[in-house]
This record gives sequence, structure tokens and C-alpha cells, in this order.
Amino acid sequence: MVAVFPQTSSGERLPPPRTEVGALGWVRQNLFNSKFNAILTVISAAVIVLALVYGLRWIISGADWTVIGVLGGQMVIGQYNTEAACPGQNCFWRPQVSLLLVSAMLGIAWAMAGGGVARRLAIGVVIIIALFALLPYSFERMGMDVRLLLVANIPAMLAGWAVAHYTRMTGRGIAIYGVAAFVITLILLRGIPGVPGLQPVLVIYWGGITLNILLAVVGISLSLPIGIALALGRRSNLPVVKLLCVVFIEVFRGVPLITLLFMSQVLVPLAFPEDFNTNSLFRAGIIITLFSSAYMAENIRGGLQALHPGQAEAARALGLAGWQTTMLISLPQAIRSVIPAIVGQFIALFKDTSLVYIIGMLDVVEISRAFIQGNAQYLGNAKELFIFLALVFWVFTYTMSYVSQKVEEHLGVGVR
Amino acid sequence: MIRRDFSAAQREAKDFPEPIVVCFDVHKWYGNFHALRGVTTLVSRGEKVVVVGPSGSGKSTFIRTINRLEEHQRGDIIVDGVQLTNDTRNIDRIRRDVGMVFQQFNLFPHLSVMQNITLAPIKVLKTRRDVAEDTAMELLTRVGIPEQAEKYPGELSGGQQQRVAIARALAMRPQIMLFDEPTSALDPEMIREVLDVMRELAESGMTMIIVSHEIGFASEVADRVIMFDEGEIVEDAPPGEFFNNPKHPRAQAFLSQILS
Repeated sequence: MVAVFPQTSSGERLPPPRTEVGALGWVRQNLFNSKFNAILTVISAAVIVLALVYGLRWIISGADWTVIGVLGGQMVIGQYNTEAACPGQNCFWRPQVSLLLVSAMLGIAWAMAGGGVARRLAIGVVIIIALFALLPYSFERMGMDVRLLLVANIPAMLAGWAVAHYTRMTGRGIAIYGVAAFVITLILLRGIPGVPGLQPVLVIYWGGITLNILLAVVGISLSLPIGIALALGRRSNLPVVKLLCVVFIEVFRGVPLITLLFMSQVLVPLAFPEDFNTNSLFRAGIIITLFSSAYMAENIRGGLQALHPGQAEAARALGLAGWQTTMLISLPQAIRSVIPAIVGQFIALFKDTSLVYIIGMLDVVEISRAFIQGNAQYLGNAKELFIFLALVFWVFTYTMSYVSQKVEEHLGVGVR
Repeated sequence: MIRRDFSAAQREAKDFPEPIVVCFDVHKWYGNFHALRGVTTLVSRGEKVVVVGPSGSGKSTFIRTINRLEEHQRGDIIVDGVQLTNDTRNIDRIRRDVGMVFQQFNLFPHLSVMQNITLAPIKVLKTRRDVAEDTAMELLTRVGIPEQAEKYPGELSGGQQQRVAIARALAMRPQIMLFDEPTSALDPEMIREVLDVMRELAESGMTMIIVSHEIGFASEVADRVIMFDEGEIVEDAPPGEFFNNPKHPRAQAFLSQILS
């Protein structure tokens, strides 16, 4: 006896129910899929609406943003172009020329990457820089030369692209250019005694976002190789090397950066010649680099530990030497797998550069704070200034985060 | 002419086997655990040896001592006339002569198939890149996947990955090939394609030491089957004898388990 069921719709391809697809389906599944979530959704929506209404009202009608314009160039370069730092001259062109070198570097990176995120970054950055030329300042505050040099970033970037594109520049080429550009920047900013137009500007006058960026560039480009060396050292079979690396990492990780910066005023002069003693930029650069290296080492060690031991075995079985296995097989995979942690460390480092106020340097945060304190009429505008500062930091750090995401996507080819 | 001389030499080798791997009284400990307990055996040039045994019996440890992925603590291992000691030059030389294929493939996931195969010839043998790439294409054709050269390991099936791993080992022109359970991590339909490649390699005269439980493959290809148990060789016989008429009671027990 065979049971007979009534005809069902099995076998037919049916569209999903209307409540499961489209905007309605999305709302139902994501916002109101349970009683608890429905309550959360309503409360969150209320908070967001209130914040937007009051926030926007204040930004549009309540806030007074003139303080940012008044502070202006000091946020960029600190007291570099003041009468005390650069008597009888206009020194603003020197950091501006350095900026042209950076733009050219972006162009080179675009040519080498052949497009993608490098192109977006290069074009975006030079356009934003050029837009600063349109700031509604009087000619006394911002001369034609300053505006022209800002606009010149566009041709500088394109020139970098063209040179790299037509000379088929290699990775080594861009590395050499990067180091050269950095050294030229330091020489330009510091000046050469006796050369007209390049009179020395003491490092204590360097400041603003330029100082933050300089320290971040030094820290980022040195802490990665030092961190790699420390991570390898910590996994070394040689007990002395291992011990030294462990001690270094644990000491620099265990002490607050502020303490290290304070100590640098006492300790660095013991290890380096007289000339560097007065150079607080040099001291801060060393301390930030070493502090960041310790964290970087642990990030990279994590990546090395996550690596399947079969990878190194396969390399050794093929006859690759130990150092070849490390450089060609282990490290590339380890670094790839910890890119998010490495970039997180870069971002933390960039934000930490504002701690150099501890040793008397006027970075972009400190110069803003000092300005508010010294000019009582702007005391009420601290809100606007610091909101603006937060935005500036966010733009830089988000750019780093965005680039790293794109790099990860790019490297993800073929990786599970 | 040369070909005939070569086959004559091969025939001679069958009659007067020239040992290429000599293991004498090899011991290995992991901490207190005695993993190899006095292993003595000979492998002749061109011979195919299949190694079987229950898990934990020391068969993988044994073949991994032959290219020093595991260090032995007592006894002698001589590979192609070179004794394995702590001298790193000897170890490097032997690793160049001994190719290895792993259970988990161990391809380098950040390199393309082509780069996986050419890396060691370029970096170790200092072969020119274009020459190495030509050789790699020949080897990929030999293992049947020339069209996958530019892909990454993660884009290939398990069987394809293992065939790339074989090509990668062959690119170093080894004298001996070690296979550590090459088909154990594969789906049934992919085991065949890998075994076909290994069969072809065996026919070409390569010396092979294979840890495997593929009984059909072993009885067809092997000159000898060695069984390990608790770190010792308990049976060493031609496949016909081993599978039909094992002498040692532990070999009988093991066979009745895997054949049932």
C-alpha cells in the first residue's frame, strides 16, 4: 500500500517570499529580527537623530571656525617661519619644496604599482594640497609664491610618475629615491650655514603637523626592519642573541613612551656625540623608533609562530639554506598574515608622535594648545580647534588603514 | 648507442645493486620516547621501497632522517656516499640530492606554481631563470598540469597541488625521492592522479622510498615492502611475499587490519 500525498510544489523553482528580499527583507533580517533587537534599533535611531540634529546645528550656526584660520600656517610648520627662527627671511618655501619631493614620490609609487590604490592616493593627495592654494587669506598672510608652490605639487607628482614610468624604475630605485628625498628634506629644513637663503633653523622651532609626519616617517620606516630583526633574534637558537632581544623587547614594551622620552634627555647624550645632545628631534626619533620596534617585533613573531612548520621543512628539504628559508618563505608569509597588526602599530605610532610635547617640542596638538592658552580671546574656541585636530589625525590614519586594506586585497591572491 | 649502454648499466645494477642509502643501527629519541630502535637497511640505486606500519611506528621519522629533517642520535646514515653528520655542508649536499613530497603538500602559498618550482633551482643551483622556467614547464607537462603554471596553490585541487609538489622536488634533479604519505590527505578521486604520476616516475628508474598504505600501488610498483612497528623493522620482503605470506606475527596482525 503506497501512501498518496497531495501534490506539493516540490521541484519547482519559486522566488523567495517577499519578506526575505529587497529593502523590506533587509530591515526585517538585520534590524527587527527579535524583540530585543527591535528595541535596540529604536533606541539607537533616536540617539543618532538627536546627535545629528544638535551636532549639525552647532557646526553650522554655533561654531566659530575662525581660530583655525588665525592659527593657519603654524599648524603646518610650527614656529619655523617666525622672526625668531628665521630672521629677516621667508623660510616657508623650504618645507614646501620638501612637500614637492613627497608628491613626486607618490607619482613614482603610482607608476610602479600601475594604478589601483596608489593612483587614487597620488591624485587625491596632490589635489587636496593644491586646493589649499585657494584659501581665502590676504596676500600678506599667504603670498603668491606659497600658493604657486602648493599648486606645483600636481606637476611634481606627474613628473615623478613620468620619470618612473619611462625609466622603468625598480623597487630599489624607489627606495633610493625615498632615502634621498628624506635626507634632502632634513638638509632643506635644517639649512646650511653660510649658504644664502638656507640659513640654519634650529630644530626647536620645527613643529606643527610637519614634525608629527617627520617623526612618523622615521619611526615607521625604521621600526619595521628593526622589529623584524628583533623577532628573528627572539626565535634564534643562540642564547645570547635571544636573551638580548628578549630584554630589549620587554624593557621597551614595559615602560611608557612618556617615561622613555623623559629619560631620553638624560640617556641619549651618554651614547651620542655632543652635537646630538641639543637635538631634541633626533632624541625623539630614536625613542619613538625603538619603542615601536619592540611592539613590531612581537607582531611579527606572532606571524612567524602561526606559520605551519611544514613550510620551513619543505624549503629546507629543497636545499635552501636557513637564511634563504627565512627571507624567502617564512618572513613574507608571516608579515602578510600580520599586516593588520603592523598597520595598527603604524597608526598608534603616528598618534603617539604628539607626545613629544613632553620634551618641549611644539607638534600640531601642542602648538594649538599653547595658542589657545596664550590668546585669551580664543579660549572659547578650543572646541572647534580640537575637533579640527581630531579630523586631521583621522584623515591621516584612515588613509593608512585604507591603503593597508587595499594592499591586503592585492596580496590576497591565491592565499586561502 | 648511449641509450643501450645505459640500459646495460641498469641491468648490471639489478644484478649487483649499488647501495644509495645505507642505514646502520639508527636510533632516534624524542625526549624519553625511543622513536627509532636500531634501524638497519639498504636501498639500492633504482630500487622502490614502500614503508608501511601502524601510526606512531616510526616510519615517517625514518624517512625524515634520510634528509636530516629529523636528527638521529646514534648509528650511521650514508646517502649517495655522503655520511650524515652535523656538518652543514654535507646536509646541504644531501638535501640537494634527495627530493621530498609531504602529506600536506607544503607548497608555498605566497608563490605561484611556477615560482614554487623554480625557486630552489634558481637560489640553490644558481640556474638561470629562463632555463629553470623551461625545466619547470617540462615537469608540469610531465605531471599533466602545464596550464596551471601561473596559478597560486590555493587555486588548485589537492591532487593538482600534490603533483606540483612532485614537480617542485624533481626540479632539483634528485637522485632519490622520498614520499611521506603522499595520498593520505587526498579525496579518493584525486589519489589516482597522484599515483599515476608516481608510477610513471618509478618506470623512469628513480630511486623511491614511499611511506604509503596504498596496497595496490605497493604490490605493483615496489621492489620491497618494509614494515615498521614500535621503531623497528619487523618485516622486509618483496611485495608478493609480504602481502600474501607475512612471517612476523605483528605484520600478520597489521595486514589483517588494513585488508579487512
